[in-house]
Amino acid sequence: MTSIGTGYDLSNSVFSPDGRNFQVEYAVKAVENGATSIGIKCSDGVVFAVEKLITSKLLVPRKNVKIQTIDRHVGCVYSGIIPDGRYLVNKGREEASSFKSLYSRPIPVPSLADRMGQYVAAHTLYNSVRPFGITAIFGGIDSDGPHLYMLEPSGTCWGYKGAATGKGRQTAKAELEKILDKETELTTEEAIKQAAKVIYMAHEDNKDKDFELEISWCSLEGTKGLHKFVTGQQLEDAIEFAKKETSVADFNDSDDDEDDNNDANVSSDDEAVDRDGDINIE
Amino acid sequence: MNHDPFSWGRPSDETYGAYDTKIAQAPAFPKMNTTQPIVTGTSVISMKYNNGVIIAADNLGSYGSLLRFTNVERLIPVGNSTVVGISGDISDMQHIEDLLEEMKTENNYDNSYVDDEEALKPSYVFEYLATVMYNRRSKMNPLWNAIIVAGMEDKKPFLRYVNLLGVTYSSPTLATGFGAHLALPLMRRVVDREDDIEKTTLEVAENTILESMKILYYRDARSSRKFSMAIIDNDQGLILKKGLQVENMSWEFAKNIRGYGTQKV
Amino acid sequence: MFRNNYDGDTVTFSPTGRLFQVEYALEAIKQGSVTVGLRSKNHAVLVALKRNADELSSYQKKIIKCDTHMGLSLAGLAPDARVLSNYLRQQCNYSQLVYNRKLSVEKAGHLLSDKAQRNTQSYGGRPYGVGLLIIGYDNSGAHLLEFQPSGNTLELYGTAIGARSQGSKTYLERVLDEFVDVQTSEELIKFGVEALRQSLKDETLTTDNLSIAIVGKDLPFTLYDGENVSSFL
Repeated sequence: MTSIGTGYDLSNSVFSPDGRNFQVEYAVKAVENGATSIGIKCSDGVVFAVEKLITSKLLVPRKNVKIQTIDRHVGCVYSGIIPDGRYLVNKGREEASSFKSLYSRPIPVPSLADRMGQYVAAHTLYNSVRPFGITAIFGGIDSDGPHLYMLEPSGTCWGYKGAATGKGRQTAKAELEKILDKETELTTEEAIKQAAKVIYMAHEDNKDKDFELEISWCSLEGTKGLHKFVTGQQLEDAIEFAKKETSVADFNDSDDDEDDNNDANVSSDDEAVDRDGDINIE
Repeated sequence: MNHDPFSWGRPSDETYGAYDTKIAQAPAFPKMNTTQPIVTGTSVISMKYNNGVIIAADNLGSYGSLLRFTNVERLIPVGNSTVVGISGDISDMQHIEDLLEEMKTENNYDNSYVDDEEALKPSYVFEYLATVMYNRRSKMNPLWNAIIVAGMEDKKPFLRYVNLLGVTYSSPTLATGFGAHLALPLMRRVVDREDDIEKTTLEVAENTILESMKILYYRDARSSRKFSMAIIDNDQGLILKKGLQVENMSWEFAKNIRGYGTQKV
Repeated sequence: MFRNNYDGDTVTFSPTGRLFQVEYALEAIKQGSVTVGLRSKNHAVLVALKRNADELSSYQKKIIKCDTHMGLSLAGLAPDARVLSNYLRQQCNYSQLVYNRKLSVEKAGHLLSDKAQRNTQSYGGRPYGVGLLIIGYDNSGAHLLEFQPSGNTLELYGTAIGARSQGSKTYLERVLDEFVDVQTSEELIKFGVEALRQSLKDETLTTDNLSIAIVGKDLPFTLYDGENVSSFL
């Protein structure tokens, strides 16, 4: 960051003498501070998971959902400035819907990735807008099978077998590489548990804050190709697996109220006050 | 008097010469949208019973008097509690199918309660279709259909009609097209008023619908033997039966059929 | 030069990835007087402290009804709140007219989020300078949302925004288990008024400066002002 103060970092769409667009790099910084998100591509679908940091016990559990559905067969999760992610997903929905009205079939995931990439890239070209402050991981199943992409603030959009972004991305990537290094591909059923584990491990980087785990999947069998949230027993099992594997302390167990109260009081003094005293979800 | 309506209310051509359409950059002839349906589906019939509602329509797409398409599905399920039955122009019906698909997709966006409290209900689907139909007729560009929305809402049967004019109404028995003349009187023998619904079982209602479909196949020249029927039942949920056939027909000479024509039974 | 070069507009990230204009907009909420929101299973309540410019002026309205099942209270720039509440009223009407459907509180929150986000990504505008607490009773029950100008909208059991609101929030956290289970609307209002008291400085609550709204099962959105709040003082 030696170029800070030279003036080349004050406006979007401006190159510095050594060919960098600083505003895009700063947008990446917003992502790197965000909660961890991951995506896994499997033989029969894709799985998404995200760490949802809870800064107050006044927040309603399992609400304030972060993972979104773009089209019915495409899911999306992102780290960074959450409202930017919602905006991008809305654009993705417009693209998916216009494709469907033109061609009467669901948009192929690579086409969607292309269009969303173009849109994000366009936000690095003009000084009247700022780049997206998010890295999005999205994918789903179309007639060619499963797809997974990661889209960065620069507009870079590549396909992945396993993708991670946000604060715990280094740990998550290392774990994903171990999981996906096997000869045989994972099934979505297995990947749900592994995804939970990865998020729990990545949370070690952010240990002072409580969190909830959110998982979703697109599976040929399990969801008939649609993007659905993992809920109920399936989610419980995944969390249990993750806890066992990481032996992390019990974060979001609603059964032991006494412990919760103690924890929550501590957390309410520390985090809920945050920087501004604002309750927030990252 | 000049009896041609096109010249009413205008300065007469004899005195003033023909109207110069270039003045208002108007086309030589008024713009026209759809003035008639092309490929059509015939009646949709439906009735309430004490635990739900039944709706049926045959699988024919007629091109004028030519029985052109024999495998057209005109009952469209929307979610787990609604079926939309469409008669009239088939291409307009396919457009409405797209609209309903979009409606489902949009309801799925960021909706935590999509499978429960905030699932699409029949009245939501109906109101949307009625809005679309009325807007289109107000643009002088109607979707050339008559539509019946059937379903269960808050444990009560829902049945309502809307057509290309944007007119809407409800009744314990509803039918579009030819069915409004042929099937409706038969169904009203069973359910005539609101309080008859409670006395009518699924079995009775189903038989009435099957009998009505038979009569329609007998007498409607634009109908087919093959049809679909949907039951939306409070306990059993939505059951869509496809590829049914009109059974137990009699093609005897008219004079041998009891209850036919002017003969005394 | 120590001037912050990165806080002039909403289209410039700071080197650490922050958007100062958006963060300043969040500060504007704290310039407004406090308002508290809380909900139980069947009811949701808003309680607000109204301010007047001087002795002779009237009090600034703090609570706005959007539909028979939904309303909001504000802290910050009141004109911005009017823009947002008018938008919400339009959306409620649209939903009722086109779909015969009550706008769900969840969807209302998303609509506001998306509207606010647009002001943070392009040049020439500013973020909204107001925080909102939205309450409503829809098909899925009673809900309370907190809206922020950044485009974040959160669902909570209880919260407070505005000047010295931390006192109210701390109180609500302490009595969370009690108020989420109350049965009657009156009890819930009492918790709300008590929470509001925790954020007062010199003021005392009177029939002039206290505003209360409630919505719930078989209970349309109702606003209590003036003499109607005397029983809760």
